[in-house]
Amino acid sequence: MNNDTMSIEDYLAQGGVLTAPGNAPARYRAELLRLMASFVDSELAGSAGFADTINDAPGIKERIAAARIVLEKADHAGRVLSVMASFGADAGRYAVHHPWAARLPREADIGAVRQGADRRLAVFHYPLRGWVDAVTMNVLMGRAVVIQLKELERVSYQPLAEVFRTITPRETRHAELGLEGLKRIVETAQGREQAQAAADYWHPRVAASFGVVGSARHDMLARLGLRHVPNEALLAEWRAAIAAELAPLGLTVKEG
Amino acid sequence: MSRFHPLEITDVRRETRDAIVVTLKPREEDREAFRFTQGQYLTFRHRFDDAELRRSYSICAGLDDGALRVGIKRVDGGAFSTWANENLRPGDLIEAMPPMGNFHLPLEPEAAREYLGFAGGSGITPILSIIRTTLAREPKSRFTLVYANRQVGSIMFREELEDLKNEHLGRLSIIHILDSEGQEIDLFSGQIDRAKCDALFCHWIDLPSVDAAFICGPEPMMLVIAEALRAHGVADERIKFELFASSQPGRLPQKPRRNGAADAAATCEASVTLDGVTRTFSFPKQGQSVLEAALAHSLDAPFACTAGVCSTCRAKVLEGEVEMLVNHALEDYEVEQGYVLTCQCYPVSDRIAVSYDQ
Repeated sequence: MNNDTMSIEDYLAQGGVLTAPGNAPARYRAELLRLMASFVDSELAGSAGFADTINDAPGIKERIAAARIVLEKADHAGRVLSVMASFGADAGRYAVHHPWAARLPREADIGAVRQGADRRLAVFHYPLRGWVDAVTMNVLMGRAVVIQLKELERVSYQPLAEVFRTITPRETRHAELGLEGLKRIVETAQGREQAQAAADYWHPRVAASFGVVGSARHDMLARLGLRHVPNEALLAEWRAAIAAELAPLGLTVKEG
Repeated sequence: MSRFHPLEITDVRRETRDAIVVTLKPREEDREAFRFTQGQYLTFRHRFDDAELRRSYSICAGLDDGALRVGIKRVDGGAFSTWANENLRPGDLIEAMPPMGNFHLPLEPEAAREYLGFAGGSGITPILSIIRTTLAREPKSRFTLVYANRQVGSIMFREELEDLKNEHLGRLSIIHILDSEGQEIDLFSGQIDRAKCDALFCHWIDLPSVDAAFICGPEPMMLVIAEALRAHGVADERIKFELFASSQPGRLPQKPRRNGAADAAATCEASVTLDGVTRTFSFPKQGQSVLEAALAHSLDAPFACTAGVCSTCRAKVLEGEVEMLVNHALEDYEVEQGYVLTCQCYPVSDRIAVSYDQ
């Protein structure tokens, strides 16, 4: 083996790590920015959507939990946006270039297709309806975010992987806060009924956020070290985790 | 966005036959901006005829050295490093952006940590900065350096490292591995490969006691070492990488060809290159951006914000002329080289050639 020369593409395909914008080839740069934009947009839209929920909270503890989620998701967007800025993105303008709180009608059927000009995951285009709905969505999506972050922690761009490693424990806490809230909700029959309806609504929409099965882009992203585990495997992990979390609460999962 | 500031060159020392160490002094008003963290790098720019080149070089000084120093090794065919090695003189001014990079761990004065460093060739520069700083600021910590070079004559900072070893007795160990010179112990000759790593970890380096490892060198060396570290149980969070500067494209860019100006024709013939494949199609000169046209013709062109802010859709115009309505992401020198944000570009000429691959 020659110890001095190797193409960046081969280096990445063999698990190599890039450390600065100057190292990134064109396609890598574009896919990395796309990945970061999707994360930033989803966090900003998630934070904005949850903001109204603060006022729906039934108690001080719940109010603090909701406010913390709104605050920290915006902070996570800021951390990844600062990595985008190192590639030239205008972070100040980016943070305000879309109405992050805007939502489609509740019954809109958009599947996994991104809407309009921002890159948020499709699930963040659906509006939340009150406290029980928001908490249930946060349990389902919170678990999805943690599973997706575990995957993102392995991205081949070291400065971004390090940012994700600081974000994961806090997003994990958000999912736990959701579960604590949901436990209190299902203590009453009415609460459980509302939670079941919310779970039925959100389960297929969160499932769609894992992307298409057998994605043609996966191989290309894997060669760049930007993805490691296929969508379907992450989705299966999420389905199992959610079923296990909801069962003790007397909630069921409708497949689909 | 970071801006360039002039730095005065106060000293140029020839470190080896093809490497120099340059000491730099910021202006009084820029001193704060050039305060650095160990392991960071400076990005310089220089104009060659009508093209600007930017190159990053790691700082080799420690935090307490009271100076800003970088090592610049000449790379074959590298325009910037060759120019710097042949032309920089004390008293010259050179422009640089403030220090950047994350190749460091937070210092803890009370900590008693074991660090491991792997450097290949000029990959020693940021690691030297880390070693100097750590030995000074964490008096209970120790550092083991594995340093690979072709031959004795090409070892950068050889004397400085020996001095550090004597100054901090028992806290710095250095293992030199020389590619083309035999040594008393076979393990220390040849290139670093997996077998050599395994042997080092079995007999010379106690990995379980290592708190963090730093690796800077050419790509194949980084892959081999990282793989070996992981196989011996070192978690990813404890491995810090810095990619060798030689992997950056170093040659002067070709100037984009620009043909005659537009006429009144209503359509533009575009050839768009993406992932090595070029496709040609026509699209209206008005009402559709280059990005939209590419997407409409089933090209998987990259984009995100579509507002000229994020730069995901960056491409290079190789032929013809386009008008860019909004640009909040590209710098002037990139625009000069022909880079555009395709979400904001509309054709002016009847033919354009655009590449997402450059």
